[in-house]
Amino acid sequence: MTFELLKTAVKDGGARLGRLAFSGRRTVDTPNFFGLTSRGVIPHVTPDNVEKHLHTNGTYMALEDFIERPQQYMTRSPPIYETPSPINKPLNSFTAMPSSIITVLGSRRLPAVASPMGNTNQGISVFTSTGFQAVTTKEYLNAVQSLNPDIAIPLADLTHKTNTPTSKRALRMAERTDDWIKEWFTEMYKNKDSKIATFAPVLPISYSMQWEYLERLSEEHASNPAGLSEIQKPRHPPRLALTAPSTPHQVLRQLALGMDIFLLPFLSTASDAGIALSFTFPPPPPGSSESSELLPLGIDMSSPEHSISLTPLTDSCTCYACTTHHRAFVQHLLCAREMLGWTLLQIHNHAVLASFFASIREALADGTFEEKAKQFQLRYEPEIPTGLGERPRARGYHFKSEGPNEQKKNKPAWSKFEGEEGEQVKEGEKKVEGTVAEKVGELRIQDEQSGSSGLGSGVDSVAETPLVPDENADAKDLEEKGFAERVEEEKK
Amino acid sequence: MSIVQRMASNKASSAALTFELVAKCSTTRARASILTLPHGPVNLPIFMPVATQASLKGITPEQLESTGCRLCLNNTYHLGLKPGQEVLDAVGGAHKLQGWKHNLLTDSGGFQMVSLLKLAKVTEEGVRFLSPHDGSPMLLTPEHSMSLQNSIGSDIMMQLDDVLVTTHPDKARMREAMERSVRWLDRCIKAHKNPDRQNLFCIIQGGLDLEMRRECCREMVARDTPGIAIGGLSGGEAKDDFCKVVAACTELLPELKPRYVMGIGYPEDLVVSTALGADMFDCVWPTRTARFGNAITKHGVLNMKKEQYAKDFGPIEDGCGCPCCRPVDQEGAIGVTRAFVHHNSAKETVAAHLLTIHNVWYQLHLMGGARDAIIADKFPAFVKEFFNNLYPDRKSYPSWAVNALKTVGIDLFES
Repeated sequence: MTFELLKTAVKDGGARLGRLAFSGRRTVDTPNFFGLTSRGVIPHVTPDNVEKHLHTNGTYMALEDFIERPQQYMTRSPPIYETPSPINKPLNSFTAMPSSIITVLGSRRLPAVASPMGNTNQGISVFTSTGFQAVTTKEYLNAVQSLNPDIAIPLADLTHKTNTPTSKRALRMAERTDDWIKEWFTEMYKNKDSKIATFAPVLPISYSMQWEYLERLSEEHASNPAGLSEIQKPRHPPRLALTAPSTPHQVLRQLALGMDIFLLPFLSTASDAGIALSFTFPPPPPGSSESSELLPLGIDMSSPEHSISLTPLTDSCTCYACTTHHRAFVQHLLCAREMLGWTLLQIHNHAVLASFFASIREALADGTFEEKAKQFQLRYEPEIPTGLGERPRARGYHFKSEGPNEQKKNKPAWSKFEGEEGEQVKEGEKKVEGTVAEKVGELRIQDEQSGSSGLGSGVDSVAETPLVPDENADAKDLEEKGFAERVEEEKK
Repeated sequence: MSIVQRMASNKASSAALTFELVAKCSTTRARASILTLPHGPVNLPIFMPVATQASLKGITPEQLESTGCRLCLNNTYHLGLKPGQEVLDAVGGAHKLQGWKHNLLTDSGGFQMVSLLKLAKVTEEGVRFLSPHDGSPMLLTPEHSMSLQNSIGSDIMMQLDDVLVTTHPDKARMREAMERSVRWLDRCIKAHKNPDRQNLFCIIQGGLDLEMRRECCREMVARDTPGIAIGGLSGGEAKDDFCKVVAACTELLPELKPRYVMGIGYPEDLVVSTALGADMFDCVWPTRTARFGNAITKHGVLNMKKEQYAKDFGPIEDGCGCPCCRPVDQEGAIGVTRAFVHHNSAKETVAAHLLTIHNVWYQLHLMGGARDAIIADKFPAFVKEFFNNLYPDRKSYPSWAVNALKTVGIDLFES
């Protein structure tokens, strides 16, 4: 890995322009963002579309997404460790992620679900699709060495419950992480050929403790011939933000503090909510009529106002979704709960972010960043709109109730999908719907034929086409839509 | 209705369609042909995947195109409710709505009415049913169906027919349905506004009664639609009966028109129906089963959720040329392994999308292989190899397939 610092906004600080390079991978101009995966995929986007349409240079993957232990097969080792990989990049090979894409391996998803078990001196507790389990520092080291990501983030003793731990907890956090990092550097680079770049974790602890922790990081491990070599080689180590900013405003603030690469959970959250992000950097010049009004950060594509709009999701966007499709289609897909709607929004929203960061880099290069960032804060609304469209089904590994009195700091990124067959039906209607479902079972699907008995369990795996496309369509709707006409009640 | 003009002895054209017979199997009734529709030519025999709501289950039109698909289905009933006729008119039809440059076929909407809706009742006027939401009585007529399909702008539209399950016990009712379907075709033809750019296909009814089917064939053929469908099947009848109906119809149908068997999708059904002289097929099964984690392969359906695939790092199907399975050094290869599909089946939608791509490719490729074999006049060998791959033990060959193929000169047990 090489990281070149090209320019800083102010002397020795502030926002900075850089270039991160790994051999055989796409070069990353910073500031930039990496795609955030769930179980090794950018949600809703197949790997071929990642390559063709997403324009992302890197992805973050979480070990906890790959190491579940299915109940009947508790003893089997996680399949990912046995991935044959001619390019020696098992993470890419297992997930079919294009080989040009940089991989970052961390222990937990972002955002991570807090574990009720807590961490121990030996390691942390992670949340897999089959439940919580412990990962020791030793196991994690082995996993990283076996999976050979471009960038690895050592374990840190984080709670994922709060960013302001008590001073006692903070002290333990610093001490434990310190011990773990020591072990990491002792073991990690025993193989001198290892090209894995360590991105050491920075902790949510007080300034003085942080200072000590960072001092030890750079001093102690710098003297270790194997340790910190990768991170220390560049005079200015690159900085990866695991801070999960929830708006572009927060991205700009963190970027102004010197962050280089971001992971952005709000991207998928917006797509799932039916939101097409619509911000540009710098903001468009104020028009004469609406100069005082704040611009929205995104547009709710599920809104009926787009139903016949043949315009792209956003005007200037050149992404696949905007150049081949239009708002009317995305609106229809969201309204019909077709999965393609979320796919197109993911492609669009990643493109908006890619162009956001590209413009930021230009502004940093020509010295206009601070001015433009100020304009951005003034022109756009503070939050991304919520979106009224129905979300895709949330999976078990996405969330967990976090204790009886846990208050979520942010609005939950995922909410329960309401489209489960039958669930959406109000009490009085249940009978008719039930009959409908039975009928279909008899007539059309013919129980999947193939003889395999476990088929039924997958019924709810993804959004199915509803049997009755719009259970709220009453006679008037049907008539208006030209589907049929109302007739006088028949005499029996 | 359009007048079919015979151009050459192997080619016939109507206002919005040209059918060119390329080759006929010298043993069976199988045919290879080119059907040229308003949005380009398609090779027959063909399997048509079903994009019910103007989207093929999570894959982009670009990805669908990459499977080789040039003709897919939309459902009139679903599009009629979402986004609705007004939107379709404003947007300029379903092609434009979904960004699909190739051909579309739509059903009439009648099937969903009768099969999904409680208390649907067919009268001479149309299908009477209760609105699913508020229970108001509604009426769907042939004219409504044509109007909607005209708004959709499908390249092939289907007449509204009186659909009964083939196993319906009441013979008088079956005859009524058949005769009514003929009368409704006349109303459809009259109501169809764009015969110059949309093709209306008739649908042969008549249940399992071969004589009634033949009678229906004669009536329908006399009305000279650009293509002909055999309807009412895949509703739970015995496979033997299904084959007899298909064979009875194809025997009577004009050679230079496409023959579409509705709702058929299992690979065995496609191969046998092709041998019996049918050209076009559609079914939701390949894409639906993909979402259950099932991969269709020449050796049968494999459920990727099974533990045995957790560490299987081979492609979904060895030797398959689909974007998921083709060797990674080839153009457009994704490099998907069974282990990865297993990892995300029923978890991330991407696994379903990948299997959808594979399954659609499989079905299209199966028909493409049949077509090549017909042109090379090696179709019987193709059929034998197909069954041999699917059932390693000859004893388990389905008897309906053995019997049906025997009627067209293929003995599956002969080596």
